Amino acid sequence: MDPITFSIIRHRLFRVVEEAVITLKHVSGSAITNEGHDLMVSLYRADGSLLMGGVGFLHHLTSAAEACKAVIRRFEGQINEGDIFLLNDPYTAALHTSDIYLIAPIHHAGKLVAWSACFVHVFDIGAMNPGGFAPDAMDIFSEGFSSPGLKLVDRGEVRQDVWDTLLNMVRGPEMVALDLRSMIACNNVARERMLALIDKYGVDTVDVACKTLIEQSETRLRERLRELPNGSWQSRQYLDVKGEVYKVVLTMTKQDDELVFDFTGSSPQSKYSLNCSKWASLGGLFAPLFPLLCYDITWNEGVIRPIRMIAPEGTIVNAARPAPISVATVGAIQSVNNAACSTIGKMLAASDKYADEATAVWHANHFAIFMFGNNQKGGLSIGILTETFAGAGGARTFGDGVDIGGEIPNPISRMANVETIEATFPIRYLFRRRLKDSGGPGEYRGGTGAELAIVAHDAPDGGIDYVLSGKGSGFPMSDGLAGGYPGGVNDYVWVHAPTDGHNADRFANSIEAIPGDKEPVSWGVFPLRGQDALYVRWNGGGGIGDPLSRPAESVLQDVINGVVSAEAAASVYGVVVESGRIDEGRTKAARLAQRNARLATEAAE
Amino acid sequence: MKQRISPTLVHDGGKICCAACNHALAPAGQPWKRHAALSAVPVADLPGAGSGVNRAVLVRRFACPKCAALLDSEIALPEDPFLDDIVAA
Repeated sequence: MDPITFSIIRHRLFRVVEEAVITLKHVSGSAITNEGHDLMVSLYRADGSLLMGGVGFLHHLTSAAEACKAVIRRFEGQINEGDIFLLNDPYTAALHTSDIYLIAPIHHAGKLVAWSACFVHVFDIGAMNPGGFAPDAMDIFSEGFSSPGLKLVDRGEVRQDVWDTLLNMVRGPEMVALDLRSMIACNNVARERMLALIDKYGVDTVDVACKTLIEQSETRLRERLRELPNGSWQSRQYLDVKGEVYKVVLTMTKQDDELVFDFTGSSPQSKYSLNCSKWASLGGLFAPLFPLLCYDITWNEGVIRPIRMIAPEGTIVNAARPAPISVATVGAIQSVNNAACSTIGKMLAASDKYADEATAVWHANHFAIFMFGNNQKGGLSIGILTETFAGAGGARTFGDGVDIGGEIPNPISRMANVETIEATFPIRYLFRRRLKDSGGPGEYRGGTGAELAIVAHDAPDGGIDYVLSGKGSGFPMSDGLAGGYPGGVNDYVWVHAPTDGHNADRFANSIEAIPGDKEPVSWGVFPLRGQDALYVRWNGGGGIGDPLSRPAESVLQDVINGVVSAEAAASVYGVVVESGRIDEGRTKAARLAQRNARLATEAAE
Repeated sequence: MKQRISPTLVHDGGKICCAACNHALAPAGQPWKRHAALSAVPVADLPGAGSGVNRAVLVRRFACPKCAALLDSEIALPEDPFLDDIVAA
């Protein structure tokens, strides 16, 4: 194939996905899709293998491939032009029940030539808690409906019996219907654009280009791996739920042009819903691998071939049905993301050529608060606080992480503005801003997370309730690199207002200024009513390098900018700031003292 | 000839060495952390720690015993082993 035609087809395939994403957002009415970009669209080959991975949450790229393959197996001989299939069973392929895949075959001249697939986190899935995250679920049967595959659209016609059944099982069926229609529209656009591409260049030419594209990706990733040093790198993530601690343990081994991710040593599966399935773990390790190792390589089946995963059955990273699994995306999957990001970052940092591509772990813990209740407009609101997607950049080997700078597994994640959220829910923000001392200290500092506080406002029922799946308030999860410290932790505080009737500071601008008893909360369903407040902070990115090597002027700027406290400047960075200036003499003495203290410690042996 | 292991460590002459002062820590291809100067601080004692932080979890800091350069850090519960990264020489 001539390189010009190949390049045009490759580019057109990417644009097919781009346009389908735009369609998804135009039709969807939910903040989690439009504001948080909790979505994904990709193209697959006729056999279900990944052809062109799109943007959004990247751990879905491989899981949706498995979903395509599951549909191919289940519906052999019954896959027709114009069909669309639904799959959301985590033990078949999906990540959790709320993330519904709609998968559409693409036929040309009566022959199956490709698939498109997409997902959104639907408004509701009929789980025991609104919004889909069910922290108190004992098993998957309490986590909403889950289908290992059903035909939702038959030859272009929605199957009304199936449609009505689905909507009969969820809260806010009109919103779930909109979610489903957005995905139908998305798949329709992907199919039309794919067929236009085939009509222009011919089915055989496009097929050769697709094969070549996958071969090219495999070749280029293997070449890159051969350029990187052989070795093994380890990472460990802690998750905490109600005082119980779980671990995701990873040893990543690189030999020649292959990578093995071995999760042996991870905790047995939990009675809590932070478990994930093996397909989710596979997707979870690819989410950082795609952008960190394949930033200039097309994300497709060719990238998958050099990678192998070992995930022992019955563990938190390969749970067995019917273990509860609804919190997986912000539970075990995210810890797999983090562990893989950490080990890949360390491997890149071991290379002279690729050291600049290394990163500490970015925002490692979604706080994932789903609010639900009657709103100020007489309707039902269910939805996530999209700040959970705002993230925080990990430090790089040449610079600081970006404050509130997004996250590795989703290159387009973002948060809604305050006014959008206040218009959706009967709440009011007291404040939302960068969080001091949340960026992991280092020669290069991790980007900050942030903090917010909300109160009920104009609520017909006096307030609203929220689902909190807050694993990770006990342990830092955004690991540093090469001596850099981890980013700060999440925190969730229920402020119980005093009952004397003079309790509300309507303009409190810090947690300290909010009157009342402060109760840390982390897991379950809680009310936000009356004059009570909810305070939330989210984690920063990890740092890189020795904090004592950070230029004192940079530390001073951090203090002036309010992202590092004077206390941290002195105790962690060894920089003494007085009256907005560096005390040079005391700084020199403090740094020397801290170095001497290191030498005074025993060898670890 | 020196070979990079990380921003803070190199292989040199068959040994893992501090990149700042070239102090030899361990034979190449072997775990090196047990030969470093170790200090640990509870995460709860760091500025900005949240209200729910586990009281036992530590930041382990591994420094060069000769020049005090910070070589690596890791989050750990006291009973958990060191994370060992091995780069082939």
